[in-house]
Amino acid sequence: MIFKTIIIIFEIIISYILQVTVFTNLRLADVVPDILMILTASLAYITGKKTGALTGFACGFLLDCTFGPLMGLFALAYSTLGYICGFAHKIYDSEDYTLPVFLIGGTEFLFNLFYFVCFYVLRGDIDIGYYLIRFLFPKVIYTTMVSVILYRLLNLNFNLFEKIDAAKAKRRGGTTYDFNDFDLTERKKIR
Amino acid sequence: MGRDRKKINITSKLIYSALLMICVGLIVVSYLFPDVLSPVRTAVGDFFTPMEKGITAIGSGISEKLKLFSDKKELIEENNKLTEEVNNLKTEILELGQQKSEVNFFRELYGYDTIYQNAQKVAARIIGRDPNGACTVFTVDKGADDGITPDMNVLAGGGLVGIVTETGKNWSKIRTIINDDSAVSGRFQITSDTCVVKGNKKRMDDGYIDVEMINLNAEVYDNYEVVTSYISDKYLPGILIGYVTNVSIDPSELNKRAYLTPVVDFEHLEAVLIIKAVRESLEGLDEE
Repeated sequence: MIFKTIIIIFEIIISYILQVTVFTNLRLADVVPDILMILTASLAYITGKKTGALTGFACGFLLDCTFGPLMGLFALAYSTLGYICGFAHKIYDSEDYTLPVFLIGGTEFLFNLFYFVCFYVLRGDIDIGYYLIRFLFPKVIYTTMVSVILYRLLNLNFNLFEKIDAAKAKRRGGTTYDFNDFDLTERKKIR
Repeated sequence: MGRDRKKINITSKLIYSALLMICVGLIVVSYLFPDVLSPVRTAVGDFFTPMEKGITAIGSGISEKLKLFSDKKELIEENNKLTEEVNNLKTEILELGQQKSEVNFFRELYGYDTIYQNAQKVAARIIGRDPNGACTVFTVDKGADDGITPDMNVLAGGGLVGIVTETGKNWSKIRTIINDDSAVSGRFQITSDTCVVKGNKKRMDDGYIDVEMINLNAEVYDNYEVVTSYISDKYLPGILIGYVTNVSIDPSELNKRAYLTPVVDFEHLEAVLIIKAVRESLEGLDEE
């Protein structure tokens, strides 16, 4: 558990730094790929609702601290989307590289709608057609494109986590899911 | 045994609802008391700034190396152009130098506030940009340690970039004038008519931002200079903002409006100058 947490915290920090420095310099038409959303959605898909929500919260909180007008706004959006993505963990397959990409694209779409409502509509700017064409679709497409590559890297987490799980199970003496996500036990119940 | 285990087990629903509550709490607290959470923001900024600085340094190093490989011919051509320009500028400087003493004399005569020319300036490098807001808000690597406080004006290339909105130990956040939330009180250099320069992301795609509230009787035309005005309580007077084009009458028919081309190239901004002087508030003047 501690190992996992450290790894995930490390990943969050790296993604945040890359997002605000490297990727803002790689922006196309003022659009930056949302690395933190890729991280949140993929971790939720790989490990489940719990991690998804927590990772989302951490990512959103970091964005709030530096660029948010109100603390907690991005944290709310990211943790909710992480939690929702966690439902897809039930159909997780470590060999599947297409579903998560669509999942990330969809999540990014929802996030941008949320952003539009919070930052444009509340200010009285309701020109959604312009926002869709100028910011939303480019951002979703750019994020999805980056996620094709990034998800492959993030999916290595799964093997890593499995190894940690196995090592721990060995030490504990046999129990297989003692500290796993609740989702796993839930899955077994459903079956 | 089994019952005990279940008690310890924290369900994802529980975690999620706890997080939701924290978020809503944060939103409410930061809305009602904006200053309460600023230590947290500052701490997070302090933690990330050294890393962002490092990455930016590496990034700019690499891009400089890449530039070395760019076409030699282009460089030679550019060099020729630049030497020509330098020669032209040299003669221009001579002329301007003569005019400067005259200008200074008239400035003193008019009591013009030249605080921004004399004030100390700090150069700062941009280390992070807001990934969601189309990069109109950014952070730089100088903060309270270098004597920077909120409401200080930011320049680049002789024009107004924006204003410092928040500072940490070694970082500060700058809101540019092209941001939708930005509104700067401006003045036409030639006619002394006042106006309001408003950021507009939509218009910025064509390289313009908005100028509003120009007097209906003001005789302003294309390419007139707009500088920061004396009536602004946050911006120092006399900083160049940009040049107007497309002057038209507002739909309300109460005043005129126009487009403004900022002098600053926001797309390729890498470093900025922060003026270490804050416009004194009106209350402060009353006390004096």
